[in-house]
Amino acid sequence: MNDFLPIFVLLVLASGLVSLVLLISVLFGPRRRARNETKLQPYESGMRPIGPAQRRLPVRFYLIAVLFILFDIEVVFFFPWAVALRELGWAGLLSMLIFIGILEAGHFWLWRRGALEWEKMDK
Amino acid sequence: MTLQQVIFIILAIAVIGSALFVVTTSNLFRGALMLIVAFFGVAGFYVLLDNGLFAVAQVMIYIGAISILIIFSVMLTRGMQAMIPRNAQAGSVAIAAALLFLILLLAFGPFRLVVDLSGVPILSALFRTESARVLGGVPWQFANREVPETYIADFGRALVDLNQFLLPFLLVAFLVDAVLAGAIYIARQRKPAEVIAEREAIAKEEAEELAALQPQPTAPTLPQGAIASTADH
Amino acid sequence: MPVVVEVTLKSAALIFVLLTGFAYLSLLERKFIARLQARIGPNRAGPFGLLQPVADGLKLIFKESVTPKGVDKPIYFLAPALVVVPALMLFAVIPVGKGATFQLASDLNVGALYVVGVMSLAVYGIALAGWASNNKYAVLGGLRAAAQMIAYELGMGLSVAAVVLMASSASLADIVAAQYPEQYGGILGWFLFRQPVAAAIFVIAAFAEVARAPFDLVEAEQELTAGFMTEYGGMKFALFFMGEYVKMIAVSALFTTFFLGGWSGPFVNEAPILSVVYFTIKVVVCLLAFIWVRATLPRVRYDKLMDMGWKVLFPVALANVLVTAVLILLGLPGYRL
Repeated sequence: MNDFLPIFVLLVLASGLVSLVLLISVLFGPRRRARNETKLQPYESGMRPIGPAQRRLPVRFYLIAVLFILFDIEVVFFFPWAVALRELGWAGLLSMLIFIGILEAGHFWLWRRGALEWEKMDK
Repeated sequence: MTLQQVIFIILAIAVIGSALFVVTTSNLFRGALMLIVAFFGVAGFYVLLDNGLFAVAQVMIYIGAISILIIFSVMLTRGMQAMIPRNAQAGSVAIAAALLFLILLLAFGPFRLVVDLSGVPILSALFRTESARVLGGVPWQFANREVPETYIADFGRALVDLNQFLLPFLLVAFLVDAVLAGAIYIARQRKPAEVIAEREAIAKEEAEELAALQPQPTAPTLPQGAIASTADH
Repeated sequence: MPVVVEVTLKSAALIFVLLTGFAYLSLLERKFIARLQARIGPNRAGPFGLLQPVADGLKLIFKESVTPKGVDKPIYFLAPALVVVPALMLFAVIPVGKGATFQLASDLNVGALYVVGVMSLAVYGIALAGWASNNKYAVLGGLRAAAQMIAYELGMGLSVAAVVLMASSASLADIVAAQYPEQYGGILGWFLFRQPVAAAIFVIAAFAEVARAPFDLVEAEQELTAGFMTEYGGMKFALFFMGEYVKMIAVSALFTTFFLGGWSGPFVNEAPILSVVYFTIKVVVCLLAFIWVRATLPRVRYDKLMDMGWKVLFPVALANVLVTAVLILLGLPGYRL
């Protein structure tokens, strides 16, 4: 727990700094009432915005996120393994190879199915 | 109270509060964001337990990856624009969760509970009890043990040791592969006719939902995204 | 509690140095790019334009804080904070000099994983800013950023894992120490020379994580105006700006720590203050490289960027970790602890 004390203190100070900066702009910045609609309109290259801004996401982002979870878990497991590898020896490497082999099977399957082709996925 | 207990209580309140917000809010996006707060609180618990590795792994996997997937899924969701928040199962799920919690509390909590089923005709046969049984009263204690300096290497060793966690470790890989297969199934390319049929079914369902909501005096509030376009015309 | 006081003072000093560094990094960038383009750059405010950052900051303070219609207010105001805070948090584990005076939590035994984890939080600030802005350019920019960052985060994580393999420790203090074993002498012990592939991957992933040229598709002005920060102005914009530059300093400091031997250099035992000087010099060199690349390379196309992340960078990084593991187990000369 003591190891994390500096991190906690830095978190508090950094958050404080950010709030201070946001407060400064409220305190010192001018506040003018919007005379017309256009001032507060979202920017759309000078046109009136058409339709809602938040449209539904293409499904490929979802696939990318799932793939990311897959390998994020792998990366997290890599670290304790990497710290211990020198004592684990070849058996440790073999176990990790099996683990990666299973995950890579998923990665290459996705790859072969074309889910990583950014342009063609749209159809 | 020690400093640790104070921190624990603050974290627990934060986690429970944000979790309650997640299950009660009708704004999916805000709910997903509060879930991140809950995940952070859990990372804080790991720090209290002197296990920095799990704390950082919690941040990386749950906040850095799974929450992003959840947020992407919310952005994918049909009807984020004109959402009709409704969950018919909320009540029953709440009761089920409360019951489950009660059972766990009785079975593993600090309270002793003596159950005597020997007199009841059917139940005694069912549970094969001749005499009274004691539930709960588990004597939880503080571990009072220092986390060893080498716990990261120990964890790495346990992961690849056949007698320890090698099998669960490899099962994780299979599990994640199964998730990937499911994602590919959801995102697969479909024939136009299939998509049209599904859209029609969805439109019908939405119309029914709207019809069911009509008698209510307050109309569902418009999301913020729709305001700018209606104000202009 | 003297420990808390000491840590607070050090953290405050760190934040102060970083803010000053951010201000003058923006000036350095403008000056350096101007020179590369045969211009002079800002030279009106103060001698050599040295007061330019102050002038910029004052201007932004006195700007009106406009909140456009239809934004998701809490998230809209939270997003800049979510960019700046993780960037500052990265420095908690970086040893900036020899001895405890110049280190905050650099002996944290999961330091390397902490770095990767905190780096992954930065995606929220950008994605949420885009989503909350009620602006189509912002939404697209935010989404692009999210997909780009998660693709390159894996490469960065794996290159750091290779470094951890070499050092047999995930503490950044130990990683610096591992680059100066007796038998290699001098700079040949740097992981830049013993892990060149990991170093290259780290650099590429760092450019993508900070979202700077050639990977600045997040704010590609021809197609997306200003990307996720289109609807941000005044000090809220300044926070995004600060976040980008602090993160740039952070990845430079991390590259220095992981691959350039950190604070080490000649005569640090005699005069520990020299270690801070060495560290600063190395970081500034990395920053100049950052700026130079921006002035030189054109922007990459988005599909090429994603292709490279998933089909080149990640497989190569994975192979590098495994090859490194084999070489370590074989006990080759450069791979002993």
